Amino acid sequence: MADASWVPGACSIVGIGTTDFSKASGRSPLTLAAQASLAALADAGIDRRDVDGIVRCDMDLVAPPALADSLGVRDLTYWGEAGPGGSGPAAMVGQAVAAIRAGLASTVVVFRSLNGRSGNRYGLVGERGAVGGDGSYDEFFLPFGMQTPGQFFAVVARRYAHEHGLSIDELSHGLGSIALAARAHANSNPDAQFFDRAMTRDDYLASRMLSDPLRLFDFCLETDGAAAVVVTTTERARDLAGSAVPILSVAQGTGHGVQPGQMFPALLRPSTTSWPSAAAAPTLFGRAGVSASDIDVAQIYDCFTITALIQLEDYGFAPRGTAAGLTDADLSVGGVLPLNTSGGHLSEGYIHGMNHVVEGVRQIRGTSTNQVAGAELSLVTSAPPPGASALILGADR
Amino acid sequence: MTDPTAPLLPVTDDVDTGGFFLAAARGELAIRICSECRADLHLPRECCPHCGAFSREWRPVSGTGTLYSWTVVHHQVHPAFPVPYTVVLVEVDDTDGVRLVSRIAGCPDLEVGQPMEVWFEQVGDVTLPQWRPTATQEESA
Repeated sequence: MADASWVPGACSIVGIGTTDFSKASGRSPLTLAAQASLAALADAGIDRRDVDGIVRCDMDLVAPPALADSLGVRDLTYWGEAGPGGSGPAAMVGQAVAAIRAGLASTVVVFRSLNGRSGNRYGLVGERGAVGGDGSYDEFFLPFGMQTPGQFFAVVARRYAHEHGLSIDELSHGLGSIALAARAHANSNPDAQFFDRAMTRDDYLASRMLSDPLRLFDFCLETDGAAAVVVTTTERARDLAGSAVPILSVAQGTGHGVQPGQMFPALLRPSTTSWPSAAAAPTLFGRAGVSASDIDVAQIYDCFTITALIQLEDYGFAPRGTAAGLTDADLSVGGVLPLNTSGGHLSEGYIHGMNHVVEGVRQIRGTSTNQVAGAELSLVTSAPPPGASALILGADR
Repeated sequence: MTDPTAPLLPVTDDVDTGGFFLAAARGELAIRICSECRADLHLPRECCPHCGAFSREWRPVSGTGTLYSWTVVHHQVHPAFPVPYTVVLVEVDDTDGVRLVSRIAGCPDLEVGQPMEVWFEQVGDVTLPQWRPTATQEESA
């Protein structure tokens, strides 16, 4: 079916760019988007006026034509968006590939921009009076005390421990391994917000419990910033000055038992501990013709430690129920699966999965601050629970 | 201006979900079902994902369930919900795996799988079906 026309490596990421990551950017999301996009275009060696496509996240405040205007684009022929939210970035890259392959655009900027700390923040319910209705289904959650992503993921985490016969201490070991690996990688990345904040396992365990069993260091860093990549055909990429990284595969998935509404309804699915990433994984690996064991380095969406833990199983890096047994050494450069080598959402910054795409590219280029030697296959995931997407990048051979 | 410490209330007149809160106001727990294949449809909506039929039927269900999972919230988010409080996810007995969320003040001793029972909390004009651990005979005596 659809896979018959997928050509691994037909398109490449030819440029990457980010802003600084901070708690208060002092700039608008439009400014941040333009800054990251211009950096990505400069990296690609492409004139900003030659962009003809823009893809954004469905939650982004910046409209594609507004960014096109800021970039001085001469003729924007295609724009689109993917989501929901953090499930978007890999799918956004996929949409750029689709547009290029369909002949709708030739040079596509894919971006995510937000003042995630100083602007609108997650979880604050506001003063709206009655909540819910119109397909949001918030009326079944917010008035009953389920109000933030952290609370959602805490319920999932406890259920995960129960289903797999783990004590909360055993669960916390696995969650801590993910947090520690991310932090160690951030400590080597000067652009990470926690570049200068070392963390031990004792520090992790001593951190404040926010929504039991999730602690402060199980939560990602609400961040101001933007990240962008430029996509074009691999054939054209060879004529560009920049370093091109072929896109071997992209996949999106939801899977059976998806509920209407956004995140909270996922608590009502038949399984709360296997996510849409499980449905996306076979498609993803099939399109690239590789398997999980071939992957050299992974950027796994980590809005919370448990989010990454479950995906490690959904993508086949650990048998179901065993990911909590991984150590931070397993997940560090030199380990069995180097994870979130820029520090990820937990310790670099939370650009809703787009910084993961940028770091995935760096690993194939060989320019990461935590470089995996000889990395040839780089996985990037964008998160469940509403939906999942992922991509595999590979060396141009 | 809205009082930020006012309780957070649900809309009760939504075309898909309003029947749940109407039933609660009568002291009933009701679940949307498909009139054709009789499947429970929670979250409530007219279109049945199992058979494709459209219907607006509700059925009263028992007020008992089992605890599926929970979290103890220690970090204050909304001023009307003082911490610590516990959010429970309860699977309703005699349903197709319907789960409901509920809030319990404080941090009670809980265990996945333990029996739970519904009670109805009146908050202003709205009735909220809430869940708590089923009272033992000694407790209720």
